[in-house]
Amino acid sequence: MKNVAIVTLKGIFRDRIFHGILVNVAFFVLIPSIATLSMRQVTELSLTLSLSLVSFILLLLSIFLGGTLLWKDIERRYTYSVLGLPLTRGRYLLGKFAGTAIFTLFVSIVLGVATYLVVSWVSIIYPPERAILWGNLTVCILFEALKYILVIAVAFLFSSVSTSFFLPVFGTISIFLAGNVTQQVYEYIHSASGSALSPLVCQVAVGLYYILPNFSAFDLKVNAIYGIPISLSGTLLTFVYFVLYAAIVLGLAVLVLSRREMR
Amino acid sequence: MNRTIIILVLSFVSYISILGAFSRYMASRPIAEKLGYVPSVEVVKAVSADQKELVSAFFVTKVLLYFGGLLEKQQNELPIPPDYPAMSRMIHGAVQLDPYNMDAYYFAQSILVWDVGKVEIANELLDYGMRFRAWDWYLPYFAGFNHAYFLKDYAGAARYYEQAGRLSGSDLLKNLAGRYLQESGKTDMALAYLYAMEKGEKNPAIKKSFRTRMMAFQEVRHIEIARDHYRQTIGRLPATVEVLIQEGYLRTPPVDPYGGHFYLELDGRVATTSKFAFVSTKSVGKKNKVQGAH
Amino acid sequence: MSAVSIHGLSKIFKGKRGTKVVALRNLDLEIGAGEIFGFLGPNGAGKSTTIKTLMGLITPTSGRALIMGKDVSSPEARRHVGFLPENPAFYDYLSAAEYLTFVGRIFKMEAPQLERKSEEVLKLLDLWDARKRLMRGYSKGMVQRVGLAQALLHDPDVYILDEPMSGLDPIGRTLVKEIIQDLKQRGKSVFFSTHITSDVESVCDRVGVIVKGEMKCVRRVDEIADGGITGYEVRHIATGSDSPESITVSTSDLPAILSELQSAGSHILVVEPIRKNLEEFFVDIVRQE
Repeated sequence: MKNVAIVTLKGIFRDRIFHGILVNVAFFVLIPSIATLSMRQVTELSLTLSLSLVSFILLLLSIFLGGTLLWKDIERRYTYSVLGLPLTRGRYLLGKFAGTAIFTLFVSIVLGVATYLVVSWVSIIYPPERAILWGNLTVCILFEALKYILVIAVAFLFSSVSTSFFLPVFGTISIFLAGNVTQQVYEYIHSASGSALSPLVCQVAVGLYYILPNFSAFDLKVNAIYGIPISLSGTLLTFVYFVLYAAIVLGLAVLVLSRREMR
Repeated sequence: MNRTIIILVLSFVSYISILGAFSRYMASRPIAEKLGYVPSVEVVKAVSADQKELVSAFFVTKVLLYFGGLLEKQQNELPIPPDYPAMSRMIHGAVQLDPYNMDAYYFAQSILVWDVGKVEIANELLDYGMRFRAWDWYLPYFAGFNHAYFLKDYAGAARYYEQAGRLSGSDLLKNLAGRYLQESGKTDMALAYLYAMEKGEKNPAIKKSFRTRMMAFQEVRHIEIARDHYRQTIGRLPATVEVLIQEGYLRTPPVDPYGGHFYLELDGRVATTSKFAFVSTKSVGKKNKVQGAH
Repeated sequence: MSAVSIHGLSKIFKGKRGTKVVALRNLDLEIGAGEIFGFLGPNGAGKSTTIKTLMGLITPTSGRALIMGKDVSSPEARRHVGFLPENPAFYDYLSAAEYLTFVGRIFKMEAPQLERKSEEVLKLLDLWDARKRLMRGYSKGMVQRVGLAQALLHDPDVYILDEPMSGLDPIGRTLVKEIIQDLKQRGKSVFFSTHITSDVESVCDRVGVIVKGEMKCVRRVDEIADGGITGYEVRHIATGSDSPESITVSTSDLPAILSELQSAGSHILVVEPIRKNLEEFFVDIVRQE
């Protein structure tokens, strides 16, 4: 598994994906000037923009790496040579996943540093009314990384079923969007205005709420931008949720891939 | 091969030759900043996934650019009626996406309250914001001002000012409501408020809007002083502003920066035909709109 | 213990709209230790399906297969195998040396041994100079040689090679034949598939012919050769002529013809047996279908 992870990481770097990300990092330079559009919250806007850029880059990364890595191995027939080695499909898949996850973490650190630099520069020029909580920002970026690692796990599950990259890429995008609204829908149907809905719709919505990944739990942007305290137990619970959900999704992916015929 | 080079060089030269004209044309094009249509906030919320703060900031920025463009057009004497309902919808959308977005509240308070006079809506918005920005003294300060100045609900204003004072740790705010209880102090209060807001403002469009309003209110204050002086000496209210000028109580004729002209109400209050907003040229604006459609 | 044993192996692929394609039908095969087995069949006969089943890439519908006594469903079965896939592809963002390191680590080779063996196989397959270049710059033949290198790296007892000669130039083909002969001398078992009969003829002990998913026959190569002399070609220069000419004679006629030519004063250059060669043997079997 370790060897597959190392080779996967090498592949990601040699395919110049990190170079591509560095190009995107150039957008950080623009953030201070865009942030001055704000009337009353320049630093907050710079944080919003930085964190949005971080999650946007991570989103692209997770969908395209997660959706194409396995597919590429199968498409280019690397699987014949690699799976012909004394390596279980599970170790192979988990190795690929570990490589991608490590890369995502690495990119998050790089983007996190860029965010620190941009925001501290802006906050020197336009001192914010409320002190920036750097700890919150760190936790926020960490959870962004975890969220997108979970997205990668979902993409791997789709990849293990599919023979093309359409399902992994578009399926993952759909799950990502759905996973960001389930909380909203869940709260809506439990509100007064939701009681008008038919019980069947409610049951389906609640079912989806428990089945789909709840990405809104990982969204701590508001806490980082406006310096709102982060609940320790809540983040711990979210972390446990991440570990368990990723384990389930990857377990399913391994199961499916193990039964798959490498024709 | 040679032909390719010739075509390349020709194209390049032609490109250079039109560049100047092209960029002049682009620069001369009227700003067509439109607010457009805000789809259902629920839909936007769903689609913006984990980028709600960004979309909210985008909404506010869009409103701001729209507003800035309007001011510029007014300067070029191209009056177009501002689409206040659309601006209001956008701001409401923004705070629903990111209830912490201070720019949205600030814009609502700075522009929508004064120019549209929808104080109740602004107060609702501020109350909504206070639930989230629980640390921020600006929101109760704004609400307090709105209650005192527009609604003349001095008890309510005092409550908000006290809250603002508690959050900011400043006693000055707590006393604000009591200080301007009388109608006579109203213009002073508005001027003080506008002065403070204008000073803290960085955005040129908003700053300019504050400055214009301050200029108008300063004129109002001048007329008020002349009116009171007149009443003290003559013993009754003057009939018109013109009387004040003729009799020498006002040294220069007052100018309304919004393009209207000042007059006195029956009870002596100073008013202006522009109602302190750039909406007096509505008919012209309508014509413009039709022309724009062609 | 057999190197490879296959019992009643069948594979039915489910196609689109419920159609079924029988790729393998009740296949039986034993390959002994130290044996070189050639697996011959036309394109699409089921050679690759058999090999992919042996490598655990596809699961058989029924029957079972063992490598060195271990069921192929377990990755342990692949520990003693050097496998060359058909038209192989390897992570092209790695260099040959890096790929061999990756493979060696998966086979749990010790670092010094891995380094020594890696150098040995790279030199053997003439990849030593290119070892640090990324494989995306390799020619088809070089990739094929990397495939052989990674199969030989951990010195396994069993080699499963799917079309090992394809994509190689004549020098490469000769090299592969030499390698297989060397493996035979060292007592290794080789199972390789091909659709080119001459490959089999020169190196194999036994040959199996598969047609439409069924094993049609398994024979010793030398049996096919001995049992198949159909006649002789006699090349001679007749009296009064300067150019040689050839005549074909049946086995029974040969002695009579030879004495006839001698008495006529012809100069006999060469007498060659005409064998029913492997190619004809193979074509006959395929045509019977």
